[in-house]
Amino acid sequence: MSVFRDLFWFFRQEKKAYITGILLLVIVAFLETIPPKVIGILVDHMKNGTMTKEVLIRWMVALAAIAGALYVLRYVWRICIFGSAVKLARQLRNELYAHFTKMAPSFYQRKRIGDLMAHATNDLQAIQQTAGSGILTLVDSLTLGGVVLATMAFSISWKLTLISLLPLPVMAIATSRYGTMLHRRFLTAQEAFSALNDKVQESMSGVRVIKAFGYEEKDVEAFRRQSEDVVAKNIAVAKVDALFDPTIGLLVGLSFFLSVAFGSQMVIAGELTIGELVSFTTYLGLLIWPMLAFGWLFNIVERGRASYDRVRALLAEDDEIKEMPGALAVPPQGSIEYDIRRFVYPGETKPALVDVRFRLERGATLGVVGKTGSGKTTLLRLLLREFDNYDGDIRFDNHDIRHYTLSALRMAIGYVPQDHFLFSASVRDNIAFAKPEANEKEIVKAAKLADIHDDILQFPDGYETVIGERGVSLSGGQKQRLSIARALLMEPELLILDDALSAVDAKTEERILTTLKRERRGKTTIIAAHRLSAVEHADWILVLDGGRVIQAGTHEDLMAEDGWYREMYRRQQLEELME
Amino acid sequence: MNEQILTSKEQRRILWRLLAYMGRYKKEAVLAFALLLLATAGELAGPYLVKVFIDDYLMPNHLAPGPVAALAVAYIGVLVGKTIVGYFQLIGFQRLALYIIQALRMDVFSKVHRLGMSYFDRTPGGSIVSRVTNDTEAIKDMFISVLAVFVQNGLFVIGVYIAMFSLNAQLALFCLFIIPAIGLIMKTYRRYSSVFYQQMRERLSELNAKLNESLQGMAIIQAFRQQHRLYQEFAAVNEAHYEAGMKNIRLDGLLLRPALDVVYLLSIMAVLSFFGISALESPVEIGVLYAFVNYLERFFEPVTQMMMRLSLYQQAIVSASRVFALLDHDEEAPFNPEQAPYTIERGEIEFRDVSFSYDGKRDVLKRLSFTIRPGQTVAFVGHTGSGKSSIINLLMRFYEFDRGDILLDGRSIRDYSRAELRRCFGLVLQDPFLFYGTVKENIRMYNEQLSDEEIETAARLVQADAFIQQLPGGYDHLLAERGATLSSGQRQLLSFARTIAAKPKILVLDEATAHIDTETEEAIQTALTQMRKGRTMIAIAHRLSTIQDADQIFVLHRGEIVERGTHQQLLAQKGLYYQMYLLQNGLVDAHA
Repeated sequence: MSVFRDLFWFFRQEKKAYITGILLLVIVAFLETIPPKVIGILVDHMKNGTMTKEVLIRWMVALAAIAGALYVLRYVWRICIFGSAVKLARQLRNELYAHFTKMAPSFYQRKRIGDLMAHATNDLQAIQQTAGSGILTLVDSLTLGGVVLATMAFSISWKLTLISLLPLPVMAIATSRYGTMLHRRFLTAQEAFSALNDKVQESMSGVRVIKAFGYEEKDVEAFRRQSEDVVAKNIAVAKVDALFDPTIGLLVGLSFFLSVAFGSQMVIAGELTIGELVSFTTYLGLLIWPMLAFGWLFNIVERGRASYDRVRALLAEDDEIKEMPGALAVPPQGSIEYDIRRFVYPGETKPALVDVRFRLERGATLGVVGKTGSGKTTLLRLLLREFDNYDGDIRFDNHDIRHYTLSALRMAIGYVPQDHFLFSASVRDNIAFAKPEANEKEIVKAAKLADIHDDILQFPDGYETVIGERGVSLSGGQKQRLSIARALLMEPELLILDDALSAVDAKTEERILTTLKRERRGKTTIIAAHRLSAVEHADWILVLDGGRVIQAGTHEDLMAEDGWYREMYRRQQLEELME
Repeated sequence: MNEQILTSKEQRRILWRLLAYMGRYKKEAVLAFALLLLATAGELAGPYLVKVFIDDYLMPNHLAPGPVAALAVAYIGVLVGKTIVGYFQLIGFQRLALYIIQALRMDVFSKVHRLGMSYFDRTPGGSIVSRVTNDTEAIKDMFISVLAVFVQNGLFVIGVYIAMFSLNAQLALFCLFIIPAIGLIMKTYRRYSSVFYQQMRERLSELNAKLNESLQGMAIIQAFRQQHRLYQEFAAVNEAHYEAGMKNIRLDGLLLRPALDVVYLLSIMAVLSFFGISALESPVEIGVLYAFVNYLERFFEPVTQMMMRLSLYQQAIVSASRVFALLDHDEEAPFNPEQAPYTIERGEIEFRDVSFSYDGKRDVLKRLSFTIRPGQTVAFVGHTGSGKSSIINLLMRFYEFDRGDILLDGRSIRDYSRAELRRCFGLVLQDPFLFYGTVKENIRMYNEQLSDEEIETAARLVQADAFIQQLPGGYDHLLAERGATLSSGQRQLLSFARTIAAKPKILVLDEATAHIDTETEEAIQTALTQMRKGRTMIAIAHRLSTIQDADQIFVLHRGEIVERGTHQQLLAQKGLYYQMYLLQNGLVDAHA
């Protein structure tokens, strides 16, 4: 129940809704005890022959009024309590999202997106249930149960109440025991189901092999066996699941039996009227729900507790990239200087960069080349301050980049990542991503610079064409050029192209690079690439291998050396020849 | 798939098609329904017995010990009987539902295996898996919790009315007003809830899509400093989701339990008024009143249950429509007879003017002709898109070719039985497919006749024995995660062993040497030489080093053979092959 204490901040925040809701629930509980009472009174009138028109009308009017009141009150408390619970989910979801936007890449390396999604959906749902149904069940089973019991005991007969309630504790114990059993079997069935899922997955990824060997029928047989296992385990679940209703029915039936058996003796002994007995049994019916609800409550609360703990732990994750107090808020402009002794990715032991030192003047173009995994992307990610924990420093405009605010630093950088990520939105919104207020002219200009304008005009709705899962799919080259346009729209001081031209053909690449050179005069550019033609015209080229600089110089310098660069360059030229 | 496009007529058709599955389990269905009838009768008998007790014994103040004891015994007997029958009835329905889903799953899975390779190349594996497991699971939920509840409760409602009519027809008639009242509430609820619920689901999937996209693109969002803007966008979707949630709460509040409770109280009022008015003139049977109140009390809970499950039903119908769409898919694999008298003896392959197109527009193979003699090793080389993989797709009957013919031992490939073709061809793919199981099981696959000895012989032949012996447990080593602990070369050796163990006459290697690490390269080379002995072999290769000693090499370019000959002949031609060879060996001319 401690989860209620943890959620108290929210109950306080929504105190009006919760106080109203709980108050109404209590009133509803009291009102609910009246109709059975009325039944009893009228039965006694009928039996004693004291029934009059006035009596009947009076009570019917009372019942109608109660029905109306109950309807309204029940509606209102639902809005109050369930409405607040939905509000809680909304609030936590927003908080989570805001928190996610603050998390550094290392966080995303540690966590899987699927898990994060699960926290934001399933866990929030469980918490919502706790704040909604949880509160309802708690209040309702306590008040309704309490009020009904009190009415039965004090206004009818405490003796009969005790006797008739004898089977009910058995019910509570039995259902909670079934619950544990069910849970265990359910897990087994769940496992069987996920094994079946894996089996199908396996068959689908191996479908070529299965077909090549002609094992289709045998695979269907194997599937049948596993599927039958799922059925068997689900039947085991059903065998426990089916215990609930009959057990409850049996014990409630016994309760009724006891109340009628002993109650009728009391009627004959004159301790009870027949009307009271009828009321009594009706009350008994009202008690079933609170009894069952109590069992449920533990379930809901337990799940809510676990979920809330997970969400809290997530919200407590620290953002690793911190801004210094009094950090520079002006975007840097000027030379870039790397002096990195060593950088190791968090959680790894092998350094990703070792002794990388160079200076890049404002307006110059730097090329970074090397094999996959040589450290090209790492070099760029440090500049974006995706990681701060390296040995050494990077200076931009003569200040350590860690002395700028994140926003100021990133305002100076237009970044085109290797995995061109685009949003499922219109082409226009994607290009104007960093500057949503950009006008038509700016957008078209950026698109033209990135050599994607003509392609866009071919799309069904031009710049309004929606791309991504729900829209048209683009080729790799088109995606890359769109990401370039997105970065160019910012007119950044520093443009970073991380293997951003790999999917476009050589001619387009050449065209884009020439345009960039012309348009970005005086501004700095860093190009990391596999294809050496992309860096050929750079002012300085670094060749990385295993995180170290193995060669450096201009294209001419490097071609004169007998090394990786020259060999690679020749090989790539030939490849191009053969295309 | 858009969930809204299902008209109510389509929904009904889908429901009937699902229900038709019950026909396969007539015995179980009849038993479940029979038990349900008994259980319902038992459920209704209780209040009736109490009524008899009140009216015949309690009211006249005449508690005759004998008959009262008999009544008590009857009551307890009925109670216990009802409990037992009820238990088996519940299991019966669940069992029926599970059997139906099992049948449905088998249908879908078998259907999937009959589909042609073109279907798999176009459809993401994940969505097929969803059809077979998740969608059928949603249907199961419906069978268990919706259909069973509907049938049980529907029957109960009828039973209550029968009981009430037999007690007091006039009053029961009076109580009939409940039916249209509930019907009206249900209809209204369904009308709005299907819309609201749908809205809520859409908002939710929008919310999830937004979140998922943001998480994936977080690096970009941060690099371009758009955190605040995207937070605003997310908050807006979140707000819309909240609004949709509130709408559902309001609807549930207006029409679900609170509304049904009003109807309940109205029905109680009707009963009380009826008895009250008659009591003005003559004494009434209190027991009958008791029974009515009691029946009515039990009447409403099931109705609420039914209404709360309407949304589950909607979901199941959508899932079922997807499952049936797959079952009705007609893109079946190329046809071969189940039985045919012909066998492949020599292993000669001839392509005669074969043309083929994936999309019906652009030919990827253009009037291709070549012959491979028995026992020869032949290699196809060429760039991506040159058509070399298509040759294998046709030869393995993954796709149907359009024009020309493929002859095996001089007879059309279409004349052989499927089993004969599978027996003669052995295929090794670029990505060796390993599944969760031991090394032995991975080599044997479904070929149960294969002895352990044969497996080890095959492994030795392909040079896999050495590393298998090194594994903990050797041949019984469990390959977790599809062999992720092995190197790519070792995985490929295992798939070689699997293919060789099946003793094919014709060996087909589809880029089988593409991802080979230096450690296993030598073993692979030796393995290939061993495997070729006494077999026709066709290899598609990227690495020319693996095919240098082929008897014939075909260089493909845009669906046509542009060069053919042995390695030496092709080098002498100084054409495309020559250039590729230079490139791969780093023997670059100085002038380049």
